[in-house]
Amino acid sequence: MQPTSGRVRVRRRTGRYGSTGMHPSGNHATPPAPAPVSVHFVNNVLAAAASYIEVEPDTARDVLASLGAFLSHRLRDRPTVPLAQELDHVGTYLRLEQARFPGRLEAELPPAGGLPAAECAPGAVQAPLADALGRWLGERTGRVHVAIRARLDGSTVDAQFDGPDDPGSTAERIRIALAARSAGAAA
Amino acid sequence: MSAGLAILAVDDEPRALADIKHLLDTSPSVDRVATATSAKEALVYLSGGRYDALFLDVHMPEIEGMALARLLRRFADPPAVVFVTGHPDAAVEAFEIQALDFLVKPVGRERLEAALDRVEAHSRPPVPVGADGPIAPSPGGGGGPDVVAVDNPKGGGKRLVRLETISIAQANGDYARIVCDDGRFLLRTPLSQLEKDWAPSGFARVHRAYLVNLTHAVELRAQLNGTAMLIMRDGTEVPVARRNVAALRRRLHA
Repeated sequence: MQPTSGRVRVRRRTGRYGSTGMHPSGNHATPPAPAPVSVHFVNNVLAAAASYIEVEPDTARDVLASLGAFLSHRLRDRPTVPLAQELDHVGTYLRLEQARFPGRLEAELPPAGGLPAAECAPGAVQAPLADALGRWLGERTGRVHVAIRARLDGSTVDAQFDGPDDPGSTAERIRIALAARSAGAAA
Repeated sequence: MSAGLAILAVDDEPRALADIKHLLDTSPSVDRVATATSAKEALVYLSGGRYDALFLDVHMPEIEGMALARLLRRFADPPAVVFVTGHPDAAVEAFEIQALDFLVKPVGRERLEAALDRVEAHSRPPVPVGADGPIAPSPGGGGGPDVVAVDNPKGGGKRLVRLETISIAQANGDYARIVCDDGRFLLRTPLSQLEKDWAPSGFARVHRAYLVNLTHAVELRAQLNGTAMLIMRDGTEVPVARRNVAALRRRLHA
């Protein structure tokens, strides 16, 4: 889906989380910092799961299983993960947001087969994406559409937001710099 | 556990709102639950009716829950505020603005009931019908007013109504709708104030929304759920909250 207005505002996120800390020489100076997990997000997902227990028990179970997967990805002691895993994690995160805000979020993720062989810190994409998505959901009442694309060199991930129910809105693209190293470059 | 609380739950997250509404709806302490998905919508509800408490999310778009809670403190008779949030770190700020309680999502049943107990204790003390003895209306005496000035719907101005002719005052936001021998009128005074002013004249608060002149009551009819219905001499039925039934029964020797 294309932005509805043709106008796109671009914001650059410079790896507040998840930069691999690559020194100009090419050596890693510091290990990447994993992005913290939002307690607010976890608590609200649990509240959403609780709301489904009596009316849609299967949905409640799915929400809890997804939350388990989300936390496993973030809490395991690994400095970096393959970008494909991080984007899979983003997919889990977006399903949880869809459970919190039924009918309000549409998402497109790149096909797993076409992703560059890059690595990033756990949460390097999800955390800045969550900041922007929280803003978009909070400032609007209609649907929010987000399309996620990864650059072929694995250096950045773009997330483009627009509001299908608000044709006058300006689409926004956030560019998440991973400073990721591709498998070839790291050798 | 006493009954009769009216709660307004406010949260921009629809599922979290559904969860807290379900818990409140199934609590024996709660009579009525309204929901709003924004602070603005909450203010609309508050302008149209009285609520004992707001169960309020902290983080909401446009007007944050904290800002709404601060705004409510300017009300003459503000509802209690209980924050329900995924932000545990907001507790200090919540208590600084005198929130009654602070619940972290997801909320457990036991914790919710404890919060409702606090709301109940914070709300008006039990109605002043607890004094034993016969009704002692005091027209012209006992410190209460004899007459009250109401808005005259015909031609504007004020109309004087004798208290002894008033049978019921019903809460209507910050106003009270009174029923008297001459008809129905709107009075620009909250029911809680009338309750204090008119107590010496034989009026008693029998329900969150009703103040009645007990000299106009002819029958107290028990209901199966522990509440009661007070029948007035013109046949009007006024609900009596469960927590007020025993005291009212004593007062009426019923």
